[in-house]
Amino acid sequence: MALNADSVPMRWPAGPLEIARREKAKGSSTETAEVLRYWQDPASLAAIQGTPVNCLVVSWASGLPADASQQQALKPLIEKGRQAGLGFVGLIEGEANRPAAVAAAQAAGLSAVAMEGDPPASGGVPVIPWNKSNQGRWTADSAILGISDGLWPGIPQDRGVVSAPTNLPWVDSNGAVLLIARALAPDKAIWIDFDAPQQAKLTTEAYMLAVADPASYGASWVVSLDDQLRADLTAKKQPALDTWKKVADMLAFFEQHKQARTYQPMGPLLVVSNFGKSGWDVGEEALNLLPRIRQPFRVLARSQATGASFAGLQAIFYVDQEPPDPALRQKMTAFAKGGGTLFVPSQWPNPEGRPMPAEPYLLFNVRALGKGRLAVCKEDPPDAYDLVADIQNIISHRNDLFRLYNAPSMNFLYQASAQGRQGVIHLLNYSRRPGSDGPLFYVKEPHRSARLVSPEIASPTELQWAPQEAGGAELSLPRISVYGAVELES
Amino acid sequence: MKQDLTRREWLAGAGAGAGALLAGPALSFATAAPSGRVSVARCKTYGSELVPTMDKMFDQLGGLGRLVKGKTVAIKINLIGVRWQRLGTAKMEDTFWTHPRVIGATVHLMGQAGARRIRVVEGPWSTAETLGEVMLSMNWQPQDILNAAANVEFENTNYLGQGTKYSRFMVPGGGLIYPGYDLNHSYEDCDVFVSLAKLKEHAATGVTLSMKNVYGATPITIYGEGAGEDEPSIRPHGGRGGVFHFARRQPSKSAPQQKDLTLPKDAGYRLPRIIAELCAARPVHLAIIDGVRAATGAETNYGSPNRPQAAINPGVLIAGTNAVATDAVGMSVMGFNPMADRGTPPFSNSDSMLRLGEDLGIGVRDPSRNEIAGTPIAEVLFDYSAVRERILAAKGKKG
Repeated sequence: MALNADSVPMRWPAGPLEIARREKAKGSSTETAEVLRYWQDPASLAAIQGTPVNCLVVSWASGLPADASQQQALKPLIEKGRQAGLGFVGLIEGEANRPAAVAAAQAAGLSAVAMEGDPPASGGVPVIPWNKSNQGRWTADSAILGISDGLWPGIPQDRGVVSAPTNLPWVDSNGAVLLIARALAPDKAIWIDFDAPQQAKLTTEAYMLAVADPASYGASWVVSLDDQLRADLTAKKQPALDTWKKVADMLAFFEQHKQARTYQPMGPLLVVSNFGKSGWDVGEEALNLLPRIRQPFRVLARSQATGASFAGLQAIFYVDQEPPDPALRQKMTAFAKGGGTLFVPSQWPNPEGRPMPAEPYLLFNVRALGKGRLAVCKEDPPDAYDLVADIQNIISHRNDLFRLYNAPSMNFLYQASAQGRQGVIHLLNYSRRPGSDGPLFYVKEPHRSARLVSPEIASPTELQWAPQEAGGAELSLPRISVYGAVELES
Repeated sequence: MKQDLTRREWLAGAGAGAGALLAGPALSFATAAPSGRVSVARCKTYGSELVPTMDKMFDQLGGLGRLVKGKTVAIKINLIGVRWQRLGTAKMEDTFWTHPRVIGATVHLMGQAGARRIRVVEGPWSTAETLGEVMLSMNWQPQDILNAAANVEFENTNYLGQGTKYSRFMVPGGGLIYPGYDLNHSYEDCDVFVSLAKLKEHAATGVTLSMKNVYGATPITIYGEGAGEDEPSIRPHGGRGGVFHFARRQPSKSAPQQKDLTLPKDAGYRLPRIIAELCAARPVHLAIIDGVRAATGAETNYGSPNRPQAAINPGVLIAGTNAVATDAVGMSVMGFNPMADRGTPPFSNSDSMLRLGEDLGIGVRDPSRNEIAGTPIAEVLFDYSAVRERILAAKGKKG
């Protein structure tokens, strides 16, 4: 099966290589080994029957003696799976003999292999780059890119519900790296790989969020179940079957709503960077924090900025320490002169404009530039929270498109269709528990219709606009445990 | 009113009761806490009745002109708590925050009375945003307040703001927890200090009225959980709970330090004392409590199953020349006994900040010792406990 954007991947830990790796890493219980053996049996494929999963990611080679026996042991599984229309991706890791592993993959009929770094010269099967997010091979010749260091989303277990400088709890989300990936590789499908924490007892909602967090950002989680859940599934225990059904339902929900993947994040702030070495830390952390302060934004690769339209923007945040090329600098300063605000790092040679009277901004020196402003950061590197807070303060809440209340553990992401007639607001609850009140959503410009869709409700719910005296309208939503989306139509 | 007082003399004198300067002779704090004058008015909405009602109340207090003409006024408003957490769909200004129209009306009347400059101040939770931005984020129109009189400005007092150094306020008598406090310059650079509060209950201190409102004057850069160790931080990070509620850490060393580190770390012990000594160190000349709309249970989102919250419409405004006296009337309007102390609602788990304020010579709680004008309290009584009881009864959850 050829892999494409419609592929729904799942990690399929099975076989002698998985057993050997676990024994090497931390030891493996008899029960876990049994489960790993069972999951190499073609009969185990029954678990994904009727679910959207159509591509299994298997360990293929990692430089251990068990590599060869692994490839041999998986043959029946691969054969049966291929007959059922499944694709298989072989993960090649560590010190594996890559040419040999690729050749074995071709012989076994794998759809692709995945590996970090450069692929061997003679391929024979497609190679999916499988890299850490800050080392992504965004321009590689592959329809799919893998990010190997995703985060298990939620409020971090070791921190509890603690208040952060944002006034809101810290959350772990893959949103930032996925927005970067979509900006740097706009035409590729993004898979993100992260394992379930093995030590924690995971709730069904935790798995549902693991699906929803990447999916909201247009990517696919390489579904990965913890050992206990897989053991319980093998034993056909009802709670495990129920959890797996909910996970499958969440996958199906996003498949049913996959048109939203073509929508683009929208907001009055544009973040421009190539997210290279000089821009990664500040850029990635800014993109993590902007959703926490409820600031809608878009992301654009620096390489595409010169040819992009800045229409509808209020501000541009140029992240990278190295100055832009003259054409881009001219374009961005022209945007500021026309009334926008351009935020630039401290190393911005010969800042345009003239200093403005004392402004109460802590991190930026703001200069008048035509009808707009140039805001030059005072620090290198800046504190990421102070940076985004000051950007929001300078942009102003006056023209907020949206405001989210009564949802301290939630992030939202607004995306719109190319023509802007359809929009969707993804709402992700990182506490994985409904709050005491349902979320309340302020929308500056009410649309013709708004309806809530969610795998947590039986059918879409039309939402009522509550007009506000000072303008805009509010939408009262029911309590959401993990995920809901407001579909807007204008 | 004496016109030749310096600011520091005024501050010191105000410790003897701002009401003395506005409303006539009163006792000096050196001998006993002074009485105060308090006006109560029915005001059911924030509509057209608001300005004339407040105007009349200020007249009942002796007239605003006597207090503010030619003066710089600082109005400490109340924008407490995490602003993204509302009480259901109710707006912050209809529950926990001073309503913008009450702020605007106060500014307008101050301007009419001849105030030379009016600075609206507040330290909203853990942010360096301008106050105008905080207001915009709640769909307010800050221009309405800025345009309500001449020379109106905002200052976020969570940090140094427009000042170059913090101002030190020492507690008369040496203080109970801290000997003094370092605050944003705005609290010193004013001739008249107004506490413009909300008629609310509080989970830790029983009630939060004009005295408790002053608590939010403390800069996060010194008293926040992310404050600098030795010097104030540049930017405000975190809330005040770590320092003030639970003494998990001390303020920046540049500020006056806790007198005795063995004191209880219980918020019910600490907060009333901190509030009382703040009001003694930075006296309130005019206390105004917005009770047109408010919330029961607790301020912000600190309700609990046995302390349910509800948006309410008490329809009342209270203003006075002495913070203790004004809060005592406020408590009476809420259905509480202002003479209550620890163990009696609303002070079930805390000491009474009013009694502590009285001990510090700020003012007196006993309604019979204060002059109360306007609508009789009985006519505006809004029993906060009864609202809670009704909610609990309806939920069948009373514990």
